[in-house]
Amino acid sequence: MPKVPGLIKGLSVTFGEIVKTVTKGADTVQYPHVKEVPVPRARGVIALHEENCTSCMLCSRECPDWCIYIEGHKTLAPPRRAGGKPRSVNKLDRFDIDYGLCMYCGICVEVCPFEALFWTPEFEYSEPKIADLLHDKERLGEWMETVPEFEPYEGGSEAKVKKVPRP
Amino acid sequence: MTAVNDREQLAYIASQAADARVNLELEAEGMTLNIGPQHPATHGTLRIVLELDGEQVIKADPVMGYMHRGYEKLVEVRTYPQVTTLINRIDWLSGFANEVPFILAAEKLMEIEAPERAKHIRTLLFEMSRIANVTLFLGDMAVQLGAVSPVFYAFRDREYVLNQIEAVTGGRFHPNFDRIGGLKDDLPAGWIEDTKVAIQKIYDFCDEMEDLLVGNEIFQARTRGIGIIPADVALSYGLSGANARASGIDWDLRRDSDVGQGGGLAYDKVDFKVWTHPDGDSFARYWVRLQETREACSIVEQLLDTIPSGPIMAKVPRIIKVAEGEAYVATENPLGEMGYYVISQGGLEPFRVKIRSASFSNMSITPWLLQGTYVPDVITILASLYFILGDIDR
Repeated sequence: MPKVPGLIKGLSVTFGEIVKTVTKGADTVQYPHVKEVPVPRARGVIALHEENCTSCMLCSRECPDWCIYIEGHKTLAPPRRAGGKPRSVNKLDRFDIDYGLCMYCGICVEVCPFEALFWTPEFEYSEPKIADLLHDKERLGEWMETVPEFEPYEGGSEAKVKKVPRP
Repeated sequence: MTAVNDREQLAYIASQAADARVNLELEAEGMTLNIGPQHPATHGTLRIVLELDGEQVIKADPVMGYMHRGYEKLVEVRTYPQVTTLINRIDWLSGFANEVPFILAAEKLMEIEAPERAKHIRTLLFEMSRIANVTLFLGDMAVQLGAVSPVFYAFRDREYVLNQIEAVTGGRFHPNFDRIGGLKDDLPAGWIEDTKVAIQKIYDFCDEMEDLLVGNEIFQARTRGIGIIPADVALSYGLSGANARASGIDWDLRRDSDVGQGGGLAYDKVDFKVWTHPDGDSFARYWVRLQETREACSIVEQLLDTIPSGPIMAKVPRIIKVAEGEAYVATENPLGEMGYYVISQGGLEPFRVKIRSASFSNMSITPWLLQGTYVPDVITILASLYFILGDIDR
């Protein structure tokens, strides 16, 4: 059998790809019109569940580039039972994340002991000015709606599936 | 094809020409050509100053440091869990592979061993990041030679692997998934089946590249006999990884080190072959990486079938303090040997971290290698050495 020249062989590969693309469609999508759905674990943006936050500052301290700003104060809440003492609770005044600095590492979500921070795959929050990327707790709270449920694990795993708090 | 292929002979002619000029005391030196810092062939910002005599290179001088980010210093003011976010960005095409040696060094100091399942998944992701990295090289090398279509196939097929990495870690490029004592999270359901499909696509991609480039006459003419590195020179310049193996050095840390064989990574559970090539030229480097991608695919397939059940995290204190001491751990990263020398003084932060990155050593051979070559071959040689600029400058 005579040897097929490499050039011809290569051209047949390219031609095969053209046929594949024309018949089966391209792998890319036209972004603003068609949207790809990111995987549930995708680190798009951090959402804040404000009720769970006790302004303990752990996330702010563990952040590798210190882009979380927290301010809070103590207030007295009404007692749980009638006749009890009023409880002292931490009220969150300010919770800002500067997404111009954020490295999307997820350490804050991981260290939060009260499950107040969640990743969501939401990614459409670009701003014309970098200073506008500083988002406050109202904006972070809005993203809680987009947080997907945690996926079940692959067989053989001993980890427990966590729950997302819903209002 | 009467052009002299023998590098030594070319270097001799070039040095004779240089001597002749000095003897004649001509003021006109060879032309100086700057390649970079912004040049598409350098994957970043590398500047190479070439002294030319016509088309021939007399002297090549790489200028590094345009992308220096000071990671060795930055990690000194960050706690151990924070460090992995930074070192993800050293070799940005295979983020997970950068984390592993550092985590292993910290585990060695703390005398913690990750559970079997964690080691297994760690090896799995390590090999997947290798595929994601080398796949791009297989297409990119052709672009440097003027063939454009392979790089589109490379970008397309790499995305299948990156999607799988994202599905488990949450990040395509910067996973930040490895933790001291195990992994951050377990695999999501259905991931194993999806990964098998993605790996099949990489096999197809390798076959495609073999048909498209390896057999191609133009590709062979441009790469065979170009940039030959003999084995002894490769050793003396500290080359590692596929560049060393393409020169016939049978050395792979996955097989030849304790770390690969069960002490942190689970390569003792799989059968794989370490590919070498006797030629040491640009073609050999391409060929070795092509075979390595296939080998990595087969490793991933073997690992997917044998994931043990169990926990993914060992018992680790909540606040990680690493015991006083020094440790060096190196692994076989996609670009070559990558090692971290960690000095701890018992605190929350490492006292000093020295990063031995593969690209830095691999590119240090360029002044020797480029001497006596022709300008069109310079790009071929630089592309075939395959360094990532973030890995050089750190």
